[in-house]
Amino acid sequence: MAEPMRIRATLQGDVADVRILMMHPMETGQRKDSKGQLVPQHFIKNVVVTHNGKVVLDAQWSQAVSRNPFLGVRVKGAKAGDKIGVTWEDNKGDKRTDEATVTAAS
Amino acid sequence: MTRRRFHFIAAACFSVAMAAAHAQSNDPLGVGRQMLEQDNPGDLWIDKGKELFHQKRGPKNASLEQCDFGMGPGKLEGASVRLPRYFADTDKVEDLESRLVTCMVNLQGYKREDVVKRAISPAGSSGSDIEALALYITSRSNGMKMNVSLNHPKEQEMYKAGEYLFFRRSGQTDFGCVTCHGDANKRIRLQDLIHMTSKEGVQGVVSTWPAYRGAHFVVRTMQWRLYDCFWQMRLPELTYLSDASIALTTYLHYQGNGAVTRVPGFKR
Amino acid sequence: MKKTPIAIAGTVAVLITGCASGPDEATTRQIAEKMVQSSFTAPEPRLLKRLEQDRAQQICSKIGDAKLTQEEAAEVVKLARASFKYPASGKLVGNWKVGEKLAHDGAGDRIQRGRLEKRKENGGLCQNCHALAPGEVNVGNVGPALTAYGTQRGNSEPIAKLTYERIYNGWAYAPCSNMPRLGATGHLTPEQITHLVAYLIDPESPINKK
Repeated sequence: MAEPMRIRATLQGDVADVRILMMHPMETGQRKDSKGQLVPQHFIKNVVVTHNGKVVLDAQWSQAVSRNPFLGVRVKGAKAGDKIGVTWEDNKGDKRTDEATVTAAS
Repeated sequence: MTRRRFHFIAAACFSVAMAAAHAQSNDPLGVGRQMLEQDNPGDLWIDKGKELFHQKRGPKNASLEQCDFGMGPGKLEGASVRLPRYFADTDKVEDLESRLVTCMVNLQGYKREDVVKRAISPAGSSGSDIEALALYITSRSNGMKMNVSLNHPKEQEMYKAGEYLFFRRSGQTDFGCVTCHGDANKRIRLQDLIHMTSKEGVQGVVSTWPAYRGAHFVVRTMQWRLYDCFWQMRLPELTYLSDASIALTTYLHYQGNGAVTRVPGFKR
Repeated sequence: MKKTPIAIAGTVAVLITGCASGPDEATTRQIAEKMVQSSFTAPEPRLLKRLEQDRAQQICSKIGDAKLTQEEAAEVVKLARASFKYPASGKLVGNWKVGEKLAHDGAGDRIQRGRLEKRKENGGLCQNCHALAPGEVNVGNVGPALTAYGTQRGNSEPIAKLTYERIYNGWAYAPCSNMPRLGATGHLTPEQITHLVAYLIDPESPINKK
C-alpha cells in the first residue's frame, strides 16, 4: 500500500535542489504497541533517484531513518524540464516510484 | 553502475542542511522552521484528502463533490475561512469537521457514530479520512483570509458562549484556556504557548490548523487540538463536534479574522 | 447584578470583547453552562464534577479585561483562608528529595479514551510553569522562577507556613492568580505539599545551590 511521494525540484544555476517527502511507517521493530507486542520491522531499505533516467543516488537505508522521511538531494548538471525520478523499496517488497520535472526558480 | 554515481554525489546526498544557504546560518531553529514550512510531511495528506473527496465511497457510493460547505455544492475556495457558520439544512452552526460529517452521512450514507469514532486517528497510523479531508478542504483556501461573520443569532450565541468558555476556570488545576494562553512570551517547559488574547497570536492559531503533529506522525485538526487541551487540564473528555467545541472554534476563528490560511501547519 | 467595572486595556489586548451583538451576559452564561453539561464525557460520573465551578472559580472566570472588584477579591481570599488544611503531624517541612521528584513530575490524573490516568500519586506539575534548580533548561515560565527560593527567604517557621499555604491555596495571597490551588482542590495531599516546601526552603535542596 505504497503512498505517493511529493517531489519538488527547483533549479538553482545548474543544480536541481530536489526535496522529497515520503509517507512510510519506518518501524524499527523495537517499538511496542499499546498491547505490549513488538511492532514488526517495516522500513524503506533502498532509495534510488534518477536524473533523466540515469541513477544519481542509490541509498541503502535502515530502520534508523524516522517515520515519514524527508530526503534532500542536489543534482548537478540539471536543466529546466529535466525529469527527476524517485523509487523506494521497503523490507516487505513494497515499492513506490514517482516523478517530477525540474522547474526554474521563481 | 550505481556505486560510481553514488560516491560522486555522496557529498551532496542527504544535504538537508543545504537549505541553510537560503537562511541565516546563525539561527538553526529558524532554518529548521523554514524547511518545515517548505516541506511539511502533512502535504502528503493533502493529496490523500483530494483523492478521498472525489472518490465514490460509503453505502450510497457517492463522492463529496456535492457537499455544500457554505459557498454552494462542491465550491471549496473560500469555504473554510467562513467556518464555523450557520447552515439552514441542519439548523445548526457547523465547523468544518461537523459539516464534513454531515455530508458523509447524508451524501455517502455512512453511519454518524462510525464516522465520528474513526475521526481522530491513533498516533503513528496512516491517519483518518476526516483528517485528510479537513486538510484538503482547508488547503483550498490557502492564501485566503479568515472571514467569519456573526449574522445569524445562533452564530452570535456560539461566539459569546465560546468567549465565556475560553475564560471559564474549573477542575483541580483551576485552569481555563486563558490561564495558559492569556499572556505573551509564556511557555510550559519548552513548549511555547500562543498568546491567544492578542490579535497576532490568535491569527497564528486559526491559520495553521489542520496541522502535521510531528510527535504523532499524522495530521491533526482543531477538534483534536481542543480535546487535547482539556485532557491536559485534567478535565473530562471533550466530545467530538460538541457544542462547546463549536463555540470555542467560533470564538477563536472570529477573533482571528484576517489571518491568512497556510496549511498544513507544523506542530511539535 | 454584581458591580463589575470593565476596563479595556488599550495597549496589549487588541481583541474584540463584547462588540458582536448577541445574548447578554446572563443568557450567555446559561447557554454556555448548558454546553458544559452536554459536551463532555468521563469514565465515571464523579469525574464530571471536575467541570463544576466552585464560588471562587466563578468569580475568577473574568471575561476579557473585566477586573476583579475589591469585594470579589476579598471574598476569594476569605474562601481561600477557610480552605487551609495542614498535615496531621503538624510538620510543614517534609523531605526535599521527595519534593524534588514531585516538583518535576507533570503527569497523573488525566482522562483519555475512557480511562483515568491513575497512579500512586499526582505529580506536582511545578516544572511545567516554574524554573526550579539552576541550570535546568526544560522548565516553563508561566509562573515566577523559584530558583534560590530558600536562599532569598530563609527557612524559618513563618516562611515554611507561608510557602505551605501558597501551594495549598495561593489565592489566599493572590486571588484568582494562575497558580492552581493544589491542596484545596485535592490535586496534592498535605503530606505531598510538605515535601515541596522542603524542596523550596531547605538549604541543602538543589534549588538553593549554585
